[in-house]
Amino acid sequence: MSAVIETGGLGKRYRRQWALTDCTLSVPAGHVVGLVGPNGAGKTTLLSLATGLLAPDAGTIEVLGGTPAAGPAQLARVGFLAQDAPVYAGLSVADHLKLGARLNPGWDAGLARDRVDRLDLDPGQKAGTLSGGQRAQLALTLAVAKHPELLLLDEPVASLDPLARREFLADLMEAVAEQELSVVLSSHLVADLERVCDYLIVLVGSRVRVAGPVEELLAAHHLLSGPRRDPATLPDGLEVISASHTDVQTTLLVRTSGPVLDPAWTVSGVGLEDLVLAYMSQGAGRRRRDSPRHLEVQK
Amino acid sequence: MIWLTWRQFRVQALTAAAALAAFAILLAATGPHLAGRYAASAITSCHGGGCQSAAITFLSQLQATSTYPVVYLLGIALILLAPAITGIFWGAPLIARELETRTFTLAWNQSITRTRWLAVKLTLTGLAAMAVTEALSLSYAWWADPIGKAIDLGGSTSLFSGGRFSSLIFATHGITPLGYAAFAFALGTTTGALIRRTVPAMAVTLAIFAAAQIAMPLGVRPHLIPPDRTIATIESSGLDYGSLTATVVPGQPGAWLISSGAINPAGQPVSTLPAACAGSFGPKVLSPGPCLESQGIRETITYEPANRYWPLQGIETGIFLALALALAGSCFWRVSRRRT
Amino acid sequence: MIEFHLDARSGVAPYRQLIHQVRHALRLGLLREGDQLPKVKDVVAGLAINPNTVLKAYRELEYEGLVAARPGIGTFVTGTLDGGSLAAHGPLRRDLARWLGRARQAGLDDESIEALFASTFRSASEEDIA
Repeated sequence: MSAVIETGGLGKRYRRQWALTDCTLSVPAGHVVGLVGPNGAGKTTLLSLATGLLAPDAGTIEVLGGTPAAGPAQLARVGFLAQDAPVYAGLSVADHLKLGARLNPGWDAGLARDRVDRLDLDPGQKAGTLSGGQRAQLALTLAVAKHPELLLLDEPVASLDPLARREFLADLMEAVAEQELSVVLSSHLVADLERVCDYLIVLVGSRVRVAGPVEELLAAHHLLSGPRRDPATLPDGLEVISASHTDVQTTLLVRTSGPVLDPAWTVSGVGLEDLVLAYMSQGAGRRRRDSPRHLEVQK
Repeated sequence: MIWLTWRQFRVQALTAAAALAAFAILLAATGPHLAGRYAASAITSCHGGGCQSAAITFLSQLQATSTYPVVYLLGIALILLAPAITGIFWGAPLIARELETRTFTLAWNQSITRTRWLAVKLTLTGLAAMAVTEALSLSYAWWADPIGKAIDLGGSTSLFSGGRFSSLIFATHGITPLGYAAFAFALGTTTGALIRRTVPAMAVTLAIFAAAQIAMPLGVRPHLIPPDRTIATIESSGLDYGSLTATVVPGQPGAWLISSGAINPAGQPVSTLPAACAGSFGPKVLSPGPCLESQGIRETITYEPANRYWPLQGIETGIFLALALALAGSCFWRVSRRRT
Repeated sequence: MIEFHLDARSGVAPYRQLIHQVRHALRLGLLREGDQLPKVKDVVAGLAINPNTVLKAYRELEYEGLVAARPGIGTFVTGTLDGGSLAAHGPLRRDLARWLGRARQAGLDDESIEALFASTFRSASEEDIA
């Protein structure tokens, strides 16, 4: 399967700070990719580089085999939904569909109309008066009706109430099923992503900490608890992601390719949220030891 | 993209159309009457020196009415303000609004490049701004033609005194309105692209454009083509005895009198009546002219002859159009830069 | 047409839950041979889960010989799950009751019994898959 996003040492800098550092990814097609990380980790930067809204300061990026925003053909293959789904407040829902029709040769008017009907959006209503969930749905319609191969969404449900959030994700999954889209969606909440993502990228402090299919990652990570022990005494092949100690007990979250055979450890599986949190705290710890040049500002 | 540009521009376009229509109605209601007054005045049958007094009479009567002065001033004000208004309300928000509301994430991810997006928006809206200003100018020129003719004949009142070279009139007649409109619009879009906030961009555009609008007639226009100089007799220069400045360029009807001053035989400037002639200027005696001439005092005049009107118009318009193009170019550069 | 539901807290992978629900429906007779399983897009629209999850579940059911996919049309039930094993239920129930009695005598409370059963069940299932 070819890669939808291929980066090599990708970096992006704002003045003196690197928002994204040494990012090397090969995101396969046909997945719903979750891009997780704390605020300010570089998620929006990575997505903006993929759509061509930004140009790299270091490294390379290829999307669907082409340079982002290289021309109308490339732009037609990638759909984007920015944070908070900006729309033209003075234009109506129907105007937005007309915008899509006029500016996209691949526009599917029937699909757009069906979606608007199904979502109970009033075509004559000004987009500025729509609720947050409706705006997100309108923006998704615009992104999806041009039949892209890849859809990028920046925190699409962050500001939505739980019902709107569920409806949006369900709607998105339906579009994925119908059109065989690849999707990358970012969030700072893991719970949003657990249901829908089958590929995970964790971004902390401008760096990629872990990337891979969710199933493989969950199978490769284990929670080990046992008597108090120095992690350095562990055998090779076990990468410790996070460790916590009490005076009598040690709990480790490890990544390993093989089984854990040491009987001293109680081995249990790890949920996606705990896995991501472990990498986030690892990233935070490493961040504090990094040189000041790489400090990133958390909002 | 043309549809989207129109759809986003609709309200401003309709507002401008309404204003233009209202002004056109005003001109249409009063213009024929003005032409009628001119045709009925003594100007149409005057000869030589009598024409000036006929013109003064015509203009004085006009100034005494209630409508014509208002329309006259309104027209000039509208044409002078139109570039600033379109620059602020059409130009500044063009890019800044998209950046401010983040709708650029929507616009720049359709199947259209940023360059094409900007090219269509800039060209259509810019041309509209130029068309509005020029439409105001042309329709006003039609209406004010009788007044212009009277002034050219030497007529002058306190209100109707500006010939086509005067500071206010030059920028409102001919093709200069096109240049001002293009410059103000391009200035608006560029400040919007750089500042990225609509309201501050509007303020900066207004400030810079107003400065340019004032600087051009005061400091730049007289030097666009190096002016001619001549030294004339006191009598032929129609001297104003209070300021010792000329009012007419002898032998150059319709010329633009830029500056003048009295000089003594040694060539030094004279700013006040010499003591010898002081007694000849007072409430009862009105003509110190022969006295000044006997002192060897003459008038030096800096001017542009009448036939330089259109070249000056062309150069001034050309400068503003060139500035507009350069600004527009920087907009393209800024929008495609993709740094932040 | 059956409808799927998901228990996010059960610890069982979503695709497994779907498989269980299909098998359960087959057992109860809610699904008969020739019936169509819900379309992938309808399942994901209802549950907000990844389409690959549903595809994986349907593929495994197809591998078990219970359903068959007809491209462009849908996925249809082809096999049955014999509740004929109803016959085996009786002895199994008696064995279970006996085991429960022994567990209580050993002093296990309800939670311990459930935990013991669940962990044994899980490791036994994993061995089945491996």
